[in-house]
Amino acid sequence: MTLLREVTLPRTDGPSEPVTLRKVHTTVDRSLRQVIGALALALAAVSAAGCSAATGSGGSSSGANSTAAPAASALDGKGEVDVSFWHAMTGTNGQELQTLVDQFNKAHAGKIKVTLNFKGTYDDALAAYKNASPSQRPDLIQMYDIGTRYMIDSKSIIPMQSFIDTDKYSVADIQPNIAGYYTVDGKLYSMPFNTSMPLLYLNKEAFEKAGLDPDKPPTTLDEIMADAKKIKATKGETVSYGFGASLYGWFTEQWDALGDVTTCNQDNGRTGRATQADIDNPTSEKLLQWWQQMVDQGLAEKLDSNTTNGDNAFGSGTVAMSLESTGSLGGFVQSAAQAKHPFTVGTGFFPKVSASDAGGPIIGGASLWTVNTGNSAKERASWELVKFLADQKTQVAWHTATGYFPISKGALDDPADKAWVARKPQFQTAITQLQNTKLSYATQGCSVGVMPDMRKDVENAEQAVVLQGKDVKQSLAAAQKTADAQIAAYNAKLG
Amino acid sequence: MSRTADSTPPAVRRRRSLNAPSRAVTAATYFWLAVAAVALLFPVLLTVVGGLLPEGRLDSSPPELFGGHYSFGSYATALHEKVVPLLPAFGNSLFVGLVIMAAHLITSCLAAYALVFVRTPLRRPVFWLVMATIMVPYEAIVVPNALFVRSMGLENSRWALVLPFLANGFGVFLLRQAFLQFPAELRQAALIDGCGHLRFLFSIVLPAVRPSLTALAVWSFLQGWNMYFWPLIISSSNNSMNTLQTGVFALQSNEGTQHALVLAGVTLTLIPTLLLVVFGQRWLVRGFMAGAVK
Amino acid sequence: MAEAAAVHSSGPPLSRRARWSPREAALGIAFCLPALAGLGVFVVFPLFQAVFLSTRSTDINGNPSRPAGWSNFSALFTAQFGDVLLHTLLFTLFVVVVGVALPLALAVPLAQRLPGMKVLRTLFTLPFAYSASAASVVWLLMLDPSMSPVNWLLRLVGITPPGWTTESPWALLTVAWATVWVVGAFNLLVLGAGLAGVDEEVVEAARIDGATGGRLFVSVILPMISPSVFFAVVTTTLSALQALGQVQVMTDGGPNGSTSTLVYSIFNHAFENGNNDYGLASAQGLVLLLVGIALAAVQFGLVERRVHYT
Repeated sequence: MTLLREVTLPRTDGPSEPVTLRKVHTTVDRSLRQVIGALALALAAVSAAGCSAATGSGGSSSGANSTAAPAASALDGKGEVDVSFWHAMTGTNGQELQTLVDQFNKAHAGKIKVTLNFKGTYDDALAAYKNASPSQRPDLIQMYDIGTRYMIDSKSIIPMQSFIDTDKYSVADIQPNIAGYYTVDGKLYSMPFNTSMPLLYLNKEAFEKAGLDPDKPPTTLDEIMADAKKIKATKGETVSYGFGASLYGWFTEQWDALGDVTTCNQDNGRTGRATQADIDNPTSEKLLQWWQQMVDQGLAEKLDSNTTNGDNAFGSGTVAMSLESTGSLGGFVQSAAQAKHPFTVGTGFFPKVSASDAGGPIIGGASLWTVNTGNSAKERASWELVKFLADQKTQVAWHTATGYFPISKGALDDPADKAWVARKPQFQTAITQLQNTKLSYATQGCSVGVMPDMRKDVENAEQAVVLQGKDVKQSLAAAQKTADAQIAAYNAKLG
Repeated sequence: MSRTADSTPPAVRRRRSLNAPSRAVTAATYFWLAVAAVALLFPVLLTVVGGLLPEGRLDSSPPELFGGHYSFGSYATALHEKVVPLLPAFGNSLFVGLVIMAAHLITSCLAAYALVFVRTPLRRPVFWLVMATIMVPYEAIVVPNALFVRSMGLENSRWALVLPFLANGFGVFLLRQAFLQFPAELRQAALIDGCGHLRFLFSIVLPAVRPSLTALAVWSFLQGWNMYFWPLIISSSNNSMNTLQTGVFALQSNEGTQHALVLAGVTLTLIPTLLLVVFGQRWLVRGFMAGAVK
Repeated sequence: MAEAAAVHSSGPPLSRRARWSPREAALGIAFCLPALAGLGVFVVFPLFQAVFLSTRSTDINGNPSRPAGWSNFSALFTAQFGDVLLHTLLFTLFVVVVGVALPLALAVPLAQRLPGMKVLRTLFTLPFAYSASAASVVWLLMLDPSMSPVNWLLRLVGITPPGWTTESPWALLTVAWATVWVVGAFNLLVLGAGLAGVDEEVVEAARIDGATGGRLFVSVILPMISPSVFFAVVTTTLSALQALGQVQVMTDGGPNGSTSTLVYSIFNHAFENGNNDYGLASAQGLVLLLVGIALAAVQFGLVERRVHYT
């Protein structure tokens, strides 16, 4: 209080002020003290209320609601049932989703009405979900692959398996490699929806100029290095670097799966709850050494984990080879045509770390979860929507409009789909890559509640190695230590 | 205290012209301002022109802004956006911006006036409390605020978007600074004339601090206009109260960026705020000229 | 002037008895009530809740569960958090210094009565209209490793551009610059207003006395606009402490956490990557509050003494 009085004096006015202030304080002190006392009491009451209010925060699990799936009869006599569907689809993907939902609403007019609610990024959608009180949760939510374990542990959903068992729904049409990601203990928890695969993208003109055959793309990291060296040595190349890709954690997960390596224990969390990460494995070490060398030798452009920068690197024709998902193909083709030196986009299988790697890529993306709201009509209606979205015809439309991989096996045999793939041979690469993959624990991917954090830990390690020149083993070990602590903290919260 | 040359004696005027900035200084001034303009305003040019280019055109090193087809194609795509329809989102953002602007102006004017001109008890502690609230990080109180707003059953109403932001310490601080510089003899004269506080505030004080009011209005409007995260957290299960910022974000593709489309979207969100800043300037300048007469 | 100022707060001598009139006091309180109510309910009250949350750990659904004792606070004493504080300090320093000096260097020439100044002043304030994320998106494009016009210009004059978002010291500079770009435009508004209120007679008198250029600026003009400068410094400090969008969009705290500022850390623990560590986020939030209060105390305590209010 003393400080305040001294500070304010020079600011306000002349000499009469100090006297006034001091006098003022003595005359008002008594009533002030009463006021302050009252305020303090009020504050105490308020904070007590605040404490109790804080404990009642949203997102409590509705364990009381049964996880049995309602049968079709749940919709009878309920009039028009409203279904709220939270999603994170943007751009053309979002437009297509709206189109499909409109179709569904038309077909079920008077019985079911689905409302789409865009919730920002997958992270934002998850944060909104956690902060929603049980009555404000959506009926259906699209959640990214790495949020799978959390969704299961949240006990707020009805597993898809319940609906499948109630309806005796045939899952024969669902691609096993895709469903495998969302299956734990033989139970399918969520319906895969938008899945993408990683691919190698290449600049055909740059390849040809360097004397390389764009139809025989490199299949391992060493081959990429060799090709990049050739491109660097070629005079008159329009590209500045042979290779350039974002330091995206998803890629590392793919590389480990290709190397048939599990990145967390208990068989990637598929046979029991994972308690430890395995980030510091030989495949990852080899991969980071390679990347560090590529950048140091000027063969790869220095990029961070921001996928926008990575996409620009390839789309602008600055790098000859890059890594991205199947969904990026459309955008790349568009950019390539408008680049300073326009080029044709070619694709190859996602490269392996070592030629001897016998695994396959992990199918990622996002899936649909039915929320356990306790309202059987809405739950049933959500399942009807899920069936529609997983249906072969819908998947053909979804595939051809977005470039996402169809989850329906039959969709690939559909003539419309086949015609589309014939027009865009690059998509065939993705299809062949999937069909060549054997489902294993490694290709199922790590299932752990803190997967998003784990991915970020791996990215930090990559940034440390490639951008800060740190030691590979140390960086990976540090990332593993962090991940182990995060997993332990998560598991402790469950107990 | 005059401000124009007209009221100064001829001798001073002559001397002033002798001391006018030399040609060299003027040239240097223009040069510096030109360099700064290029460095600081090129991004604005990029935003506006980038949205007019064909998609993919920006993907060259460096982006080719000039000499090519310009079209409003990206703008059309942005406006026909189905995921987050831009027109309702625009409505939400406008509502939030205007309500918050009005609320800040009202609450800050009254509070700042009381802290400077009225013999309010606990003036200093109240001011410090208000200052302290500016320093509370918004992220740390989002969750409790969401709980509270929900418990009031408001999540289906647009008012949920603005409720926690109706009062702001920054506004009080800004206006208090402006009021402190208000010449005291005017208050004296008004008191002698029998002018009450309210009349004094509205007819004399506020018109004189127009630049600060404008600055606060612009700042507050932008706070509301630029909101992204709160609407996502607070809106109910199927009532989307998405704002324009979310709408622009929804334009970005999940896979690969369409620059022209995103820049078109960004420009659309900028248009109202740019207009506000430009016209706010005019009011500000007028306010300066008026305020300079002391 | 002095007598008028002296009379300002103490009122006319006759009303000494009526100085603490209940009516005045009631009016004063009534005027403050809307602001205080809003701030009390939506800032102060949640702050107490945040204090409570910081003593608890949250379950996986975000509910505060077991008491966590001091564990959220002991997590603040790690090297990692020390780095976060360092980044915040450097970031704030850059934003405040450049964010006030640059607009000043523009406002002073712009205050001259030369043709085109009004238009230029309006143009220079435009960046203020950008939201943090819009500014970040645009600057990300401006400094993209493959497409940056800035890099192109640098290469033209033979300079190898650094990795704006990929190299450690530069990344912090880049996110700070994106913040300066927006905040500086607002400060230009504020400083321009201050300069417009400068009494030309005084400047003229000083010039006649022989003060020119730098000396004129430092000893005459600067003190006269010191209220505006002070205001700009205080508000820029607060904006810098709470800048989030730039870090999120441009670097996401990278490379390897080297642009992780305090508010980014709070947001990360509370909402990103599927986290809902409200306990730790609240604890860090309290640290941010203390830092803000400390800086404000320094500014009001030391710097404000040199401010000349008219």
